[in-house]
Amino acid sequence: MLQDTLKKFHEAASAPRAQMDKYMAEGRKVVLTAPVYTPEELIHSMGFVPMGAWGADMELKRAKEYFPAFLCSIVQSILELGIGGAYKGASAIVIPSLCDTLKTLGENWKYAVDDIKFIPMTYPQNRKPDYGIAFTKAGYERVIKDLEELGGKYDPEALAESCKVYNAHNAVMRRVDEALAGHPEITAAQRSDIFKSAYFMTKEEHTALCEEFLAELGDSRAEDKLGIVVSGILTDAPQLNEIFDDMGMHIVADDVAAQSRQYRTDVPEADDPLQALALKFAAMDNCSVLYNVKKPRVQWIVDTAKARGAKGVVVVMTKFCDPEEFDYVMIKRACEAADLPLALVEVDRQMVHFEQVRTNLETFRDMLSM
Amino acid sequence: MITLGIDIGSTTSKCVLLKDGQEIIASGLRVGGLGTEGPEEALADLWKLTDLDPSAVTRTIVTGYGRNKYEGADGEVSELTCHALGGRFIFPDLRTLIDIGGQDAKIISLNESGRMSNFVMNDKCAAGTGRFLDVMANILRMDINDLEACAAQSEKPASISSTCTVFAESEVISQLANGVSRPDLVAGICESVASRVSALARRAGVVPRVCMSGGVARNGAVRSALSKSLEVDIDFDPMAQYFGAIGAALYGYRQALKQNS
Repeated sequence: MLQDTLKKFHEAASAPRAQMDKYMAEGRKVVLTAPVYTPEELIHSMGFVPMGAWGADMELKRAKEYFPAFLCSIVQSILELGIGGAYKGASAIVIPSLCDTLKTLGENWKYAVDDIKFIPMTYPQNRKPDYGIAFTKAGYERVIKDLEELGGKYDPEALAESCKVYNAHNAVMRRVDEALAGHPEITAAQRSDIFKSAYFMTKEEHTALCEEFLAELGDSRAEDKLGIVVSGILTDAPQLNEIFDDMGMHIVADDVAAQSRQYRTDVPEADDPLQALALKFAAMDNCSVLYNVKKPRVQWIVDTAKARGAKGVVVVMTKFCDPEEFDYVMIKRACEAADLPLALVEVDRQMVHFEQVRTNLETFRDMLSM
Repeated sequence: MITLGIDIGSTTSKCVLLKDGQEIIASGLRVGGLGTEGPEEALADLWKLTDLDPSAVTRTIVTGYGRNKYEGADGEVSELTCHALGGRFIFPDLRTLIDIGGQDAKIISLNESGRMSNFVMNDKCAAGTGRFLDVMANILRMDINDLEACAAQSEKPASISSTCTVFAESEVISQLANGVSRPDLVAGICESVASRVSALARRAGVVPRVCMSGGVARNGAVRSALSKSLEVDIDFDPMAQYFGAIGAALYGYRQALKQNS
């Protein structure tokens, strides 16, 4: 049973196009959601199926017509897939303004992919003050207007319901994360599938599948594996997860943008659900693209690693990701101060050979265990 | 007990026979690393040097970039782990090891008891590696082994400002065209490698005693430029290129002891 459920996660994670075709065959419209945080609740409430667009591991060709080589390959691969027709049939793509490269993605998308509408979601840098919350809300109103042009209908009651659906999904993902810390038999690859599949299934379906998974998981097990915390933007490369598994590493917690960072904050209760959604964004934190001069994320990583009994932290740096690179120095210093070993590996969407990563993580394992 | 360590690098293959985890009884090195006959040739040299054959070996450990493809070893270990073990075998009070190989550079920090406590790798760029010296020697039509003697004749080392091997190649050609002497260029090239590696070393932290390993360690010009840049003495041992293989053999010895206990 458990293996069947894990297989379902794997199938959804590895075949996003099949998922998209399935929803479109049901007569539903799909709206793509680019990294890092898009108001999925809003898209969902207006009758669309939000589907994650975080790119893919691939060779970049056409995207280079629009981007210089030294830009984040996640963003470049999203455009490459758009130009190549991988997202054909999607009604729109919502691209938030949370890093400089994402800003250029939206502008390039308008010219490079003319059959999928670009919808910008412009977030404020200072999201917590009242003026920041008002700015976020205005950004959502712009998204609503654009989605209405595609046939969507905004209804505050529907948004309130969607927020409940998403809060329930957040809660189950937090339970999954916590449960996995006690289950070293679930591999890094399987863990990645569970999180990745959330982008390609409706949240109702994914929540139900996660509930099944938790029910089947059983009691936690003790296994002689090396507990680590993984941090970064994206860690879904099969070769990377294979290395974690080969090295006997057990991911006891993650600080990955495409994984747990998505599920830490719920939409609060409020009379106006759009205001509530803006308040959620204001409350979010502990992420390289969410501005906070005090950088609580750094201590969060240390505290989480200690709380979950991790032996070390592995930072998976997406090449040319400025926000993550800025934070790395502080993470390194905090880990050193806490006597928490840290390894840095660099990945990108175009990587074919992971031998250097293997050498790095093998050495890190030796360092922790010898 | 005899253990064998094989280090299959990007440009050379090295192997060492170790007796009782204490005495190096033979070593072999051949140009040609991963994907070549280098490992077999280096091993053949070992058997010729001794009266031994493979049946005398209790345990064989392979390391280096070619470790995953090599069949016939009892285990494989990362080259950083092996270099740390090998470095400490030669220098018992070693705290920082700077390994400059054919395709990358690594800095390994050891604590007082010899355990690896940190490491940094430069694995994405040829600048600051043996490959950089190969390319430059090729432009100057020199044997790489002659670089050190040539640099010793320098009066005013040239400045190689490009951070990329390809651009540095153009820069060296331009400097040749402008009449810069070959010794000054070679000294500048060695300083350029030292400059990049010292930046990497500072990231890991440099604690004496410091030594170099890998093929580039044999180049005294790079060693002294690195020593000057880091403001620390850098030790060198003629076996520097074998540290990985020594460490692998030592790892095999310890593993065998553990299994037998």
